[in-house]
Amino acid sequence: MEKYELIITEKPDAAQRIASALDVKGKAKKMEDNGVPYYVAKRDREIVVVPALGHLYTVAQERGGRNYYPVFSFRWVPRHVAERGAKKIRTWLETISKLANKADTFIDACDYDIEGSIIGYCILKYACDNKEKTSKRMKYSTLTKKELEKSYAELLPHIDFVLIEAGRTRHEIDWLYGVNLSRALTIAARDWSGKYATLSTGRVQGPTLKFIVAREKEIRSFVPTPYWEILAEAEIDGSVLQVEYEKKIIETKSEADAVLNACKAKDGQVEKIDVRKFKQKPPVPFDLGALQSEAYGLFGYTPRRTSNIAQRLYLEALISYPRTSSQKLPRAINYKAILKNLSKAPEYKKLTAKLLAKPKLKPREGKKEDPAHPAIYPTGNLPERVLDSSERKVFDLIARRFMAVFGEPAIRQSMKVYINVNGNRFYLRGRRILKRGWLRFYGPYVRSEEVLLPPIEEGQAIKVRKVISEDKFTKPLSRYNPGSVLKKMEEAGIGTKATRANIIQTLYDRKYVRDERIVVTNLGFEVLDVLEKYCPAVLSIGLTRELEQRMDRIQANSEKRENVLVDAIEILKPVIEKLKEREKTIGEQLSKAVKKARLEERIIGTCPVCGTGKLMILYSRKTRKRFIGCTNYFKGLCRTSFPLPQRGSVRPLGRDCRRCGWPTVQVRIKGKRPWNLCFNPECPLKEERRKRIAMRNMQ
Amino acid sequence: MQCVICNRDAVENNYCELHIKAYESVAEKFQEWKKASGISWKEYLSEIAKNPLTGEWAKEVAEHLIKSGEK
Repeated sequence: MEKYELIITEKPDAAQRIASALDVKGKAKKMEDNGVPYYVAKRDREIVVVPALGHLYTVAQERGGRNYYPVFSFRWVPRHVAERGAKKIRTWLETISKLANKADTFIDACDYDIEGSIIGYCILKYACDNKEKTSKRMKYSTLTKKELEKSYAELLPHIDFVLIEAGRTRHEIDWLYGVNLSRALTIAARDWSGKYATLSTGRVQGPTLKFIVAREKEIRSFVPTPYWEILAEAEIDGSVLQVEYEKKIIETKSEADAVLNACKAKDGQVEKIDVRKFKQKPPVPFDLGALQSEAYGLFGYTPRRTSNIAQRLYLEALISYPRTSSQKLPRAINYKAILKNLSKAPEYKKLTAKLLAKPKLKPREGKKEDPAHPAIYPTGNLPERVLDSSERKVFDLIARRFMAVFGEPAIRQSMKVYINVNGNRFYLRGRRILKRGWLRFYGPYVRSEEVLLPPIEEGQAIKVRKVISEDKFTKPLSRYNPGSVLKKMEEAGIGTKATRANIIQTLYDRKYVRDERIVVTNLGFEVLDVLEKYCPAVLSIGLTRELEQRMDRIQANSEKRENVLVDAIEILKPVIEKLKEREKTIGEQLSKAVKKARLEERIIGTCPVCGTGKLMILYSRKTRKRFIGCTNYFKGLCRTSFPLPQRGSVRPLGRDCRRCGWPTVQVRIKGKRPWNLCFNPECPLKEERRKRIAMRNMQ
Repeated sequence: MQCVICNRDAVENNYCELHIKAYESVAEKFQEWKKASGISWKEYLSEIAKNPLTGEWAKEVAEHLIKSGEK
């Protein structure tokens, strides 16, 4: 049988796109082996394109079970060997090996970044019988036919070994830190209490939790201080406008009263008018972090959600590769062609026409670079299917941002009117846009309002309708949200664009933090307390950043992977020894925190009947059914109880019913939408719902 | 010795590591309140105890100080 060329991709969607792009008729044949899809393309010779499913190999300990630490010897194994629930990987790898046996040339076409390079390397080395040294590499940033064909025609002669070295080191160090520290915590708690709870920390997870906890401590210890703000209402040409006192913050009540008395029943006069024009430059193109922050600010999407949406858009060849830290748009992507294609969408027609009419297209770029990929940009392809609402929003945001970077600067005007009221100065402020420039393209995502003022002249008399003083208090620092944590991680230089969003999610999964405006749980405090007491080194942002930089140097070929690994182990060894020495104390502290956290998870709120007990999710000893009962029942003070659905999971919502004020729970049943339940049998909402249903049935 | 508020190990003034920070904040801010509105320590404590912007631990410390009558 004739041999073929085997191309390995990271995901099935990418395999299909690559195969179709390379097939002479543009229609590759889909085949399946053991449920694993692969594609056959015809060109001057036969090409088989087989996908991976992300990482098929992972780092695992060399031997032994999961119940001990420290572990310093490791190897790369198929994921199904190391992870429960990864059975599918076995058949996947068998198919790849089978296909590799009949191939004579190999091409790694996984995403061109650290993760993609490791995925391709492991498959070539372990599943294709050491073909990593002879394999060629496809490098592309979009899954468009044109770019894929070009990438295939200009294959890189070999895979990027330094990138792989850096990636392998990162995985291995993260595994060493994660497995040892997490096992130390989990085993300590389990051995003390006899109960299992997964507790984890890691090289990046620990420092991230540390700065979230530091903010939480500030907020919880915060004491507001009073201050006063003076506002006045001025009438100009029949319109009433709010003016502010020159001092934004007045620290004492006596001073505020003095200003108030001086301005009482007095009119003002315009002293001076300051008009300033300023240019607002266009934004820079999106890198992943900036896209995640913007999508969080505009749509409330978590960084992980945005990353997943962007990945889907990329796999459908609608946008370029999203896991980039570049803010550059090279000329080679062909700005004009992209804009021309985007103009086929009615909503972009007018906007693109404006840009295409320009004699020269020059994007505003940021400083950040990424050697592997440009900034995120739309490929110009339009969706072939109806995008869901979140995909549509993210796509539109990327498309408009792309157009905005080619726009002219916006020109804004700010106006400050100085009004003198009996020796006290007040300001009236106005803002308007003189030239929209790039704002026209970014339209719905521009966050700035105009305040238009009526015509005013210097010396003009102003009628002051009232002057008031408002009691104010200083506010605590705002809570972190997933978007701002991600930004902070980026600024601190910890984690990578591929890992940050998942690390934040792990903090939620481990129940160290909760809610969108992040609140640290007791368990989060205790875990951090243990780490701070016994192994502060692993929480050091400086140390984490230094390791990151050394791993980057491996990528630049100026650092040896072995040295970084040895040094990382040298740091870790004494830390683990110390944790082992104090295992009992740590176990006690963590077990108590886990127990408290589990208890807290079941408390719904204050009992609305007795007012002193807490309503809690309880289980009947007789029937094992769950229900809500008051904790005062055990003291013989309150017999309040309510039934609960027996299927699915129930968790306190942490907020009261909007109608009756009783605490509420959320019920989640697999395959159904979660619903919020007010268990007050006499809640007016229930009556209204009953009436609504009855009306509907009558109709 | 345990913290008078939360039963964690006390480190200073009968407060744990978490509540001592809140206590310091409560004590420190009194001067600013006194200067701003001339109120007494007792009035100050009850003001911050009912202020929704006061942090949870600072509130607990203020409530404890009101109950214990400590100065």
